Amino acid sequence: MALLARSATSFGARGVTLTRMTRGRMALVGLAVVLALAVAALAAPSLPLGSPTAIGKDLALRAPTAAEPFGMDDLGRSVLSRVVHAYRISLAVAVGSVLLALVIGGCLGLVAGYAEGLPDQLIMRPLDVLMAFPAILLAIALMSVFGTGALLVSVALAVVYTPVVARVVRASVLATKIEVYVDGARALGATVPRVVLTHILPNAATPVLVQASVLMAIAILIEAALSFLGVGVRPPTPSLGLMLADGRGFMLQAPWMVVFPGVAIMLAVLGFNMLADGLRDWLDPQRARPGA
Amino acid sequence: MTYAARRLLLAVPLLFGMSLLIFGLMRLVPGDPAVVVLGFKATPEGVKALREAFHLDEPVVAQYLRWLAGVVRGDFGLDFRQNEPIGRMILDRLPVTIELTLLASLTAAVVGVPLGLLGGGRRGGAADRAALAVGLVGVSIPDFWLGIMLILSLSLWAGLFPSAGFVPLGEAPLENLLSLALPALTLAVSRAAVLGRLTRAAVLDVVHRPFVQYARAKGLGEGAILFRHVLPNAAIPVVTVLGLQIGYMLGGAIVVEMIFTLPGVGRMTLDAVLERNYPVVQSTVLVIGAMFMFVNLITDLLYGAIDPRVRRQ
Repeated sequence: MALLARSATSFGARGVTLTRMTRGRMALVGLAVVLALAVAALAAPSLPLGSPTAIGKDLALRAPTAAEPFGMDDLGRSVLSRVVHAYRISLAVAVGSVLLALVIGGCLGLVAGYAEGLPDQLIMRPLDVLMAFPAILLAIALMSVFGTGALLVSVALAVVYTPVVARVVRASVLATKIEVYVDGARALGATVPRVVLTHILPNAATPVLVQASVLMAIAILIEAALSFLGVGVRPPTPSLGLMLADGRGFMLQAPWMVVFPGVAIMLAVLGFNMLADGLRDWLDPQRARPGA
Repeated sequence: MTYAARRLLLAVPLLFGMSLLIFGLMRLVPGDPAVVVLGFKATPEGVKALREAFHLDEPVVAQYLRWLAGVVRGDFGLDFRQNEPIGRMILDRLPVTIELTLLASLTAAVVGVPLGLLGGGRRGGAADRAALAVGLVGVSIPDFWLGIMLILSLSLWAGLFPSAGFVPLGEAPLENLLSLALPALTLAVSRAAVLGRLTRAAVLDVVHRPFVQYARAKGLGEGAILFRHVLPNAAIPVVTVLGLQIGYMLGGAIVVEMIFTLPGVGRMTLDAVLERNYPVVQSTVLVIGAMFMFVNLITDLLYGAIDPRVRRQ
């Protein structure tokens, strides 16, 4: 119990500064990881990796070597090359789905929060229904209806994310629009679009940015899960989830087929989570609290 | 109206909306649903029988109302592939999913909450840093990959646990627990991490509040402060998040049941999706969604019970 006493008494400047600095560093490390993966993914075709799809029967299931540090899969394809190329799909799906959700959810949340009353109900109640399903279940149900492929995965994830973004934006708009400076702008004769765009919306940027980073992490996880289950990206497109599904059948002979794609997913998710954690404290120390 | 009654009433339109969404979604499947459901086995007679059985020739609204009326009575219709009532199939598989989810929730709470207390009790210390790191890595591990790794290391290499299959609780309780140990652990790890992170934040939020300082000033021991003042206040967000995590696990169960070949509702859903067996998908998605919603509802009610302020809002 002395633990508690110490934290309460030494909670002062040193504790806060220390935590703030750690968090700032964490955001930077997260950003570095995410950027490194993004650069590798973008540059994948011009990296000296070999083809992710070229089949080499005599190389099948070969263990990691210096030249191929991640080993070869059951068709003799380079696991390293496939992992790097799979990041292209992972990141494209994550960026695409989050951007789409930001645009649609952002508009809906803005209108709902600014108008309140009936428009608010008409917009938010249907979104509540979407949020009443576990995310992965809703994504699977959507994929089961509309088919497979990276584009559809992005759209399905955008549908899952739209209510999340709308809620964050709406909450932020509701909190901001009663501020004195918003009244001031209105009193000075600013039009509604001007009030909304220059005085209200910018306040939503911080929570939305943090949320977007979290959603990117979840998007990478869900895309991999959907592909793993056979309702996501179609083979032979290299996808981390598909690689895990293929590797399952060979996990005793070729554990590298399941180890490396999994570590790759974890690394990307960890990067975005660190970025989100760091951003949350750095941009908004007041909100760096539970539930956020 | 009391808080509980209001929350319960709100659940009705939500359930209605969920049924509407699922029904509408399944009607968006391209092509004739009867042909799609029957797949390559479709014969003209089979298609005709199925169209009649599902009343596909009626207007969509009538189809929906008929389905809804059945669902309310627990009648989900017949699975055309197995020739078995869908409601029966769900009832058979539900105990597996529920047991898995409960075991995983228990594990997550037993690991996660003390982890958060350990970290939050001494902010910035070695234990806190370790708890933070464990939490961050924990939330980033894909559970389907963790499941594969556990099978590879603990069942295939070490031979400690069965790698697949399920033994019903009634038949052999010990084997039942063994068969669910790895699946429950797989589901629990990321949720324990979330709970740990949240418990830490909740404790930190409370430890420097004035009432804690007051309790200390009047000479209360640290143990009494922790258990009488800090924990009840920190428990509010923790209970909420525990509820959300149980709901999350219902979704996660789909993946975990698939990896460990457990005969639960999650795997039933996935099999139906892969076979394009839409009447079954429609039913299981609604059942899992409704369970998710009820867990969240119970969480809200508990939240109100712990924190009187919530009831007054």
